[in-house]
Amino acid sequence: MKPAPTLSSAFLTPTGQSLPQPLLDLRAQRGTALTDMPLPTRKTENWKYSSRYLQLTEALAGTLPAAGKSGSALAVSGYHVVFHNGIMVPEASDYPDVDGIEIKRFADLDDDEARELAERLDNTLDAEAVQLARLNSARFEDGLLIRLAPNAVLDQPLFVISETDAHCSGSAYPRIYLDAGRHSQITVVEEYISHGDEPAMVNAVTEFTLADGAQVTNVRLSAEGENVQHIGATGVRQGAHSRFDSHCVGFGGPMRRHDLQVRLEQSGANCRLNGVVVTQGKQHYDNHTVIEHVAPHCESEETYRNIAADQSHAVFNGRIHIHQDAQKSNANMSNKNLLLSTGAEIDTKPELEIYADDVKCAHGATIGQLDETSIFYLVSRGIDRRNARTLLTMAFINELISQIPVESVRATAQARLNHFIDQTFTEA
Amino acid sequence: MANTDRQVNELIKREYEHGFVTEIEAETFEPGLNEDVIRRLSAIKNEPEFMLEWRLKAYRRWLEMDEPNWAHVNFPKVDYNAISYYSAPKKREDMPQSLDEVDPELLKTYEKLGIPLHERAKLAGVAVDAVFDSVSVATTFKEPLEKAGVIFCPISEAVQKYPELVQKYLGSVVPAGDNYFAALNSAVFSDGSFVYIPKGVRCPMELSTYFRINAANTGQFERTLIIADDDSYVSYLEGCTAPMRDENQLHAAVVELVVLDNAQIKYSTVQNWYPGDENGKGGIYNFVTKRAACIGKNSKVSWTQVETGSAITWKYPSCVLRGDNSVGEFYSVALTHNYQQADTGTKMIHLGKNTSSTIISKGISAGRSSNAYRGLVKFGPGAEAARNFTQCDSLLIGDRCAAHTFPYIESQNKTAIVEHEATTSKVSDEQMFLCRQRGIDPEQAVSMIVNGFCKEVFKELPMEFAVEAGKLLEVSLEGSVG
Repeated sequence: MKPAPTLSSAFLTPTGQSLPQPLLDLRAQRGTALTDMPLPTRKTENWKYSSRYLQLTEALAGTLPAAGKSGSALAVSGYHVVFHNGIMVPEASDYPDVDGIEIKRFADLDDDEARELAERLDNTLDAEAVQLARLNSARFEDGLLIRLAPNAVLDQPLFVISETDAHCSGSAYPRIYLDAGRHSQITVVEEYISHGDEPAMVNAVTEFTLADGAQVTNVRLSAEGENVQHIGATGVRQGAHSRFDSHCVGFGGPMRRHDLQVRLEQSGANCRLNGVVVTQGKQHYDNHTVIEHVAPHCESEETYRNIAADQSHAVFNGRIHIHQDAQKSNANMSNKNLLLSTGAEIDTKPELEIYADDVKCAHGATIGQLDETSIFYLVSRGIDRRNARTLLTMAFINELISQIPVESVRATAQARLNHFIDQTFTEA
Repeated sequence: MANTDRQVNELIKREYEHGFVTEIEAETFEPGLNEDVIRRLSAIKNEPEFMLEWRLKAYRRWLEMDEPNWAHVNFPKVDYNAISYYSAPKKREDMPQSLDEVDPELLKTYEKLGIPLHERAKLAGVAVDAVFDSVSVATTFKEPLEKAGVIFCPISEAVQKYPELVQKYLGSVVPAGDNYFAALNSAVFSDGSFVYIPKGVRCPMELSTYFRINAANTGQFERTLIIADDDSYVSYLEGCTAPMRDENQLHAAVVELVVLDNAQIKYSTVQNWYPGDENGKGGIYNFVTKRAACIGKNSKVSWTQVETGSAITWKYPSCVLRGDNSVGEFYSVALTHNYQQADTGTKMIHLGKNTSSTIISKGISAGRSSNAYRGLVKFGPGAEAARNFTQCDSLLIGDRCAAHTFPYIESQNKTAIVEHEATTSKVSDEQMFLCRQRGIDPEQAVSMIVNGFCKEVFKELPMEFAVEAGKLLEVSLEGSVG
């Protein structure tokens, strides 16, 4: 057996040194830990279906230069923070400076703050399960720290726009850390976009810590170009009676991977995870979610929908883990998939791992095509076949899109989905 | 509930009923495995050259393989050189021709198991190919089978008498290098059953094999090969009990089913090997590869299993649905108690058009046991209009047990439809209250509820087995509620 390929050491040399010392130390330490990390192969369980799309060539190892102009596809009228190739651009950002809400870039932290942050970074993620996202900790050049004091409420959504400027080859490592105090509330919209045509890789990590009673809504829009590989991880830890709402909308690419890990750590915590993925052409998208019910009396509700057209490949892996003492847990997972063409492939694995007896857990998964009787129903009422299929496909995902609480994101997502459907249903 | 608890504890303590050792002189190899052992084994069995070659090839493949570790089970590493690879009742020359000639010790063993062999055979019309340790010692009801043209014999005999069939089909479904345990089995398989149903024949009776693991430190490596030729039908029953032992005994069987045009095989298993004591000591390691190839059009395979025994069960009866319109079914009840671990499920691989499959899996875990369903449903690009329905339900009894579901679903054909659902629940206080209020004692109530939970699977079992399965669940389960 030939040895598994390992991560090129070129990936472990960060360039920028503008971070405070404790974060630089952390970065160096994380980098050392990744030396000779084996790259995932088809035999790596959590990369089984996706390893063949991964192209970590040396050309991607260099950090993309920070500079240049920036502009978002979103019509952002509210608060926004812009990251350009993983580095925050204060001039392009506009965010509130109010009591109880602290929004700072990592580079601006003083040593004490940085030391405190260094201790907390990566605490929400299971390193084993997100092996490649760990690269972010070894390479980040900047980041966004959001701290909400108890009872603080941000009145509008905060947009965090991560632009990747791929006019030359390389990679970017945007990072967000959010700490929500007791009973605080915030909506964070993450948007990932790109310009340029050179091969690039974005490795993004977002972490949320919710104290008791906090409410965080996270919308994540992944829509980079066909030249950009995306490896993302989101980690969440929830206190008692906190609520986390997640809406992930993903458009396929050469390699797209998102890991979402939620730990319900104290009783009464509650999370809802929604996800929509569409892929076409030869695109790929892989969503891995883990919900850990650590404490009793927690609830989780997960709904993911995938549509794969042409020769594309969509993957979903959802795991619900009920720990031994998490009695009275209530967990539901649903994953429905539309396979629009025989050249395409959908793989799904909804897992349950249960160590407590007094729980209600269920999952369901389906893969199929549009229902002929539904098409017939519409056609018999004078709607042509193409429109009938479009309508039904839209209905399949709109159920989730309509739950996104931010109007402008809904509109953006909708427009892109319309575009997807136009391209996919060309024939009648 | 104090009273219930006491009753429960009494019941939990009930020991394995079938634990005893029959003292029969056995010719047993020294522990250890190498090419010489395989040559000796092959020579003893007087096998033709091609079998020896096949075994050696499998052995060489095995040496290159790593023991798999992906299953959701924990156990100390098996020392393959501490196992003896052959054990047979000694009186080989005067092998009994009929039951009367069978060693009375043996017959007593069967009686203790509650399987009066000849009576059962007569009453139920079942031909029993009894495997005691590694060599088949008694085969009954051969005549009516021979009349119908059905071949039902130990595989070691088939190697001698029907080498062309064996050579053609052995390893065609589960290749020697398929997986670690299949390779080991291919190298050292001791004996097993061989069935051939000729074209157009409906097997006149249900075929049955009783396995029995005896003699300490003897790994059993059964090999079963069933071939259903065009338009034939056979129902095959497999049931197991094993004596109480402290050391873990490895069991790595391979079952291959070949189903040709319009043929049907129904394969039912009741597995009740020694699960280890209440502290998790001892018990059988059951690492089995079972696979059916539906090669022919309109062919059908139905796997039904009731798994209550073994310290570790690791078994995925699969169907490769190659022929158009072929059908695969999998009905399973897996029950674990104390420290038992089960990782079981199925694979349905749809390759042909209009193929369909159904999976119904019921897992029950009690005590400190762990019970996992692991399954694969795959639609290849050619699986036009293929269909799968999967349902896996878990029932947890007690707050220290675990239940898992790992379903893999892969689709490459847009006209294929797959539906999967899984639920987890426990025996609810309301259910118990309702039963107890009506004067039903707790263990009976649990037994009723669990039997109801498993009903969908039990109704797929042949009648004799359904009764046995119900009894088994009662013994293993009653009173696990607390």
